[in-house]
Amino acid sequence: MAVQAEKKAKKHTRKDDVNEIIRADDKWEPVGHTPMPEIPDLRNWDMRLMKQYKPFYAPMCDMCCFCTYGKCDLTGDKKGACGINISAQQARVVLLACCMGMSAHGGHGRHVLHYLIEKHGRDYPINMGDQVAIEAPHIRTVMGLKPENLGDLEKAIEYVESQLIHLISSLHTGQEGSALDYESKALHASMLDHVAMEVCDIAEITGFGYPTSVAETPLVDMGWGSVDKTKPLILLVGHNPVTAIPIVDYINEHGLADKIEVGGICCTALEVTRYSDKAKIIGPLSKQLYFVRSGLADVIVIDEQCIRTDIPEQASKVGSALIATCDKACHGLEDCKNKEADEIVKEMVEGKHALIFDPEKAAEVAVKTALELAPKRKKELITAEQVPELAKDHKLCNLCSQVCPNLLPVGDAVEAAKNGDLTLLAEVFAKCLGCGKCEQECPRNVPIISMMQAVAGNETWKVRAGRGPVMDSEIRKVGAPLVLGTIPGIIAIVGCSNFPEEIEEVAEIAEEFAKRKYIVVLTGCSAMAAGMTKDKDGKTIYEKYPPQFDAGGVINIGSCVSNSHITGAAMKVANIFATLPLRGNYEVIADYIVNRVGACGLAWGAMSQKAASIATGCNRLGIPVVLGPHSSKYRRLFMSKKENDDWTVMDGREKQLVDTGEPSPEHLITVVESKERAMITMAKLCIRKNDTPQGRQLKLTHYIGLHKKFMGTLPDDLHLYIRKTSDIPIFFKKEIMPYLEQVGWKEKPVLTLPTWIGTYPSDVPLDAVVH
Amino acid sequence: MATTTQPFHHVNTMTGTKYARLIEDPAEYAHLIKRAARPLLIVGARCLTMSLEGKSVLEYAVDIAKAAGAPICATAHTQKPLIDMGVTPECNYDIIEILNYLKDENWQGVRGEGNHDLVMFLGLRTDLGEQGLSTLKHFAPHLKTMTLCKYYYPHASYSLANFRKDAKWKEFLDAIIDDLKKEA
Repeated sequence: MAVQAEKKAKKHTRKDDVNEIIRADDKWEPVGHTPMPEIPDLRNWDMRLMKQYKPFYAPMCDMCCFCTYGKCDLTGDKKGACGINISAQQARVVLLACCMGMSAHGGHGRHVLHYLIEKHGRDYPINMGDQVAIEAPHIRTVMGLKPENLGDLEKAIEYVESQLIHLISSLHTGQEGSALDYESKALHASMLDHVAMEVCDIAEITGFGYPTSVAETPLVDMGWGSVDKTKPLILLVGHNPVTAIPIVDYINEHGLADKIEVGGICCTALEVTRYSDKAKIIGPLSKQLYFVRSGLADVIVIDEQCIRTDIPEQASKVGSALIATCDKACHGLEDCKNKEADEIVKEMVEGKHALIFDPEKAAEVAVKTALELAPKRKKELITAEQVPELAKDHKLCNLCSQVCPNLLPVGDAVEAAKNGDLTLLAEVFAKCLGCGKCEQECPRNVPIISMMQAVAGNETWKVRAGRGPVMDSEIRKVGAPLVLGTIPGIIAIVGCSNFPEEIEEVAEIAEEFAKRKYIVVLTGCSAMAAGMTKDKDGKTIYEKYPPQFDAGGVINIGSCVSNSHITGAAMKVANIFATLPLRGNYEVIADYIVNRVGACGLAWGAMSQKAASIATGCNRLGIPVVLGPHSSKYRRLFMSKKENDDWTVMDGREKQLVDTGEPSPEHLITVVESKERAMITMAKLCIRKNDTPQGRQLKLTHYIGLHKKFMGTLPDDLHLYIRKTSDIPIFFKKEIMPYLEQVGWKEKPVLTLPTWIGTYPSDVPLDAVVH
Repeated sequence: MATTTQPFHHVNTMTGTKYARLIEDPAEYAHLIKRAARPLLIVGARCLTMSLEGKSVLEYAVDIAKAAGAPICATAHTQKPLIDMGVTPECNYDIIEILNYLKDENWQGVRGEGNHDLVMFLGLRTDLGEQGLSTLKHFAPHLKTMTLCKYYYPHASYSLANFRKDAKWKEFLDAIIDDLKKEA
């Protein structure tokens, strides 16, 4: 009996578990080749990607300091004591970053789900509105599960967690030795990041009742000038709205909506303004320290991610009370679980900060403390007249300039300010990343960050509230034009606000593409930054361009976790327009996107590990990403060498390998130095092999137009993207024909159905991509 | 014995063992350039915003390239201003793209004569420049790198010192150009 039972137990495989989790018997779509993939399952796809786009490394550090063998010098061809080389070590650090990023979103999702399941139960149904039938393209594609309720979302997070343990394990000394395999794992972690982000946003839409299936979300106020300084202010910092929402509820339930202000920095601001259009967006991450130090906030409520880790100290400096609410960021504070709300309020008014995990209790404490504390505090910003006195001890030692991560001439600015000229200080503020290292380094204790209050201005802007997923009806409308190329592409401007130059560059880039009738989608701090520029009529791009996911639209999708809806939109194109099944069908969908959906991301100020995993997740799905110069410090890019590489693909209908000679898309992730180069590169990276002649003409019109505008000439790789003369934009034809003759251009094959399936070892048959 | 210093911008603080050789004599710098068979000058966006006593750093780049007989790679959006000056750069890549080619020993260079043996940098953001130099230090042992900017770059093969005053930097660049012209 025991032997029989053991045999029976052995027969139960992981596949059985997977089938049970994804309810494989439900026949909404056939289950593809990789439901709930483990690390090796998409490895061949990754290797195919990296054959085309080889990892490019720029080590930040020549050493490995991970274990007690070291420090080990890995310069050039040296190996560490464990045998690792510099490439593998860089890839290892990339994987670590991607695991951190994915864990941050996964942890956020787990926290939100925990809260909502306690509140509503696991059976609480997912509701994405009447225009979103494909509720979870990532969960469907990666897992093969069509989630119906919060309990199903929990299964998705459990799957992500189960993979994470293996991924982190591979970082240990004496595990993986191949850079390519580390990269494959980073791609795996980052694919899962998009699953985790999708869980977060769907749970929040479902559980908090955010608007969904609607394009025209409210225009909300943004800017440090948008809050009424005469009222108590609660400042929210972070990404997770689990405490922010109860704060809004508490205020409304107690009739305090006109008596207290709620504003946010970073993604919690985008979350809370989806819930309440009375809440304000103070600004992006880069303005966090500036605003905290302004002292305008009576109570600061922090949740998780991208919070200054010295925020209790900064809050104390200006007499703001601070409540930490998340187990990931306790900041050494006393857990107040055994204290009554009123007792905590009393302590906070006296200057103590608190750690409160219960969201409803934290909300009550935040509101009561703000109401009680505000009348006791003076809120006076530093004026221009005060600056010379504050800077009077300044000597131009330039230590502040030396530590500035954005290489700004801080010392010169302070020196000029000392003499009453604040022009340069204002310029520095416009480019400041808000780290405060300048002030820390100053041997004469000049309060540089505080002085910026005199130059920050009081302007306010309008930003459209985040809208969540792209609607299926919108995809139905744009699917064909996107794949044929007659809408030239989707431009996704995402990520943090560590911009290399003025914050206005983001709006400029977004508007350039909106004018050219690309679909422009934005998330996170970039979505805020894009709203921080007004035209001559005083309008921001959110007021000037339509909010529909269509040519020329400018759409705030939402917070960081809403990035999953951008990649999800590309997946939906494959599903809705091309009728390719999503279910457990990752390779087919990614292959479709890399060859046929013109989309390009821009993370112009990417700083965090989350940005690394978001971008790498885009890459596994075949979506190229352009990064700003700071991002060279991420250490790894995926690059081609244009015509020097092999661009052979399969013509799916003809079932023949074809050497296209066309580097499209040219890179999978690259760094550029200036906004001008970014725009040119993004236009080029929207070119796909599937473009029709009409679509290619349109895409080349923009590529050439931008190149001529910023470089003064035709692109010197133009011939690579012209397959037949019918691809040549009519407007530039007279100029292009002599160029083609000069470079000896010859016609190239046009494919009926470009695909990578059939060009690398895969279980997916070629027929799977022929629709 | 190679001399070193600390980079001006602390984001570029070295974490390693192989530092750039700091050279304070313009004649020695010019000699290194002259010794190269296939030098290349990479011009970055900051050449467009810096000037030395009224002469733009972009003009310095052109003068150095001409005196050294080195082709110019225009990065970022420097090509158009170069053309406006009457100079057509031999190639137009962004910085990462040219680095990607340079690290391939078998690449034939911008003139198709073989990969470059000396790559000079002028006018990049110091953080991006330093990261790019790191790539070449680790993955392009077939070439030497040299910076012409006013800051010390640890990942280069040869670097200038940190110049506290632009006048000294100008003096250095002028001297290099004069030296290069002497034996041209």
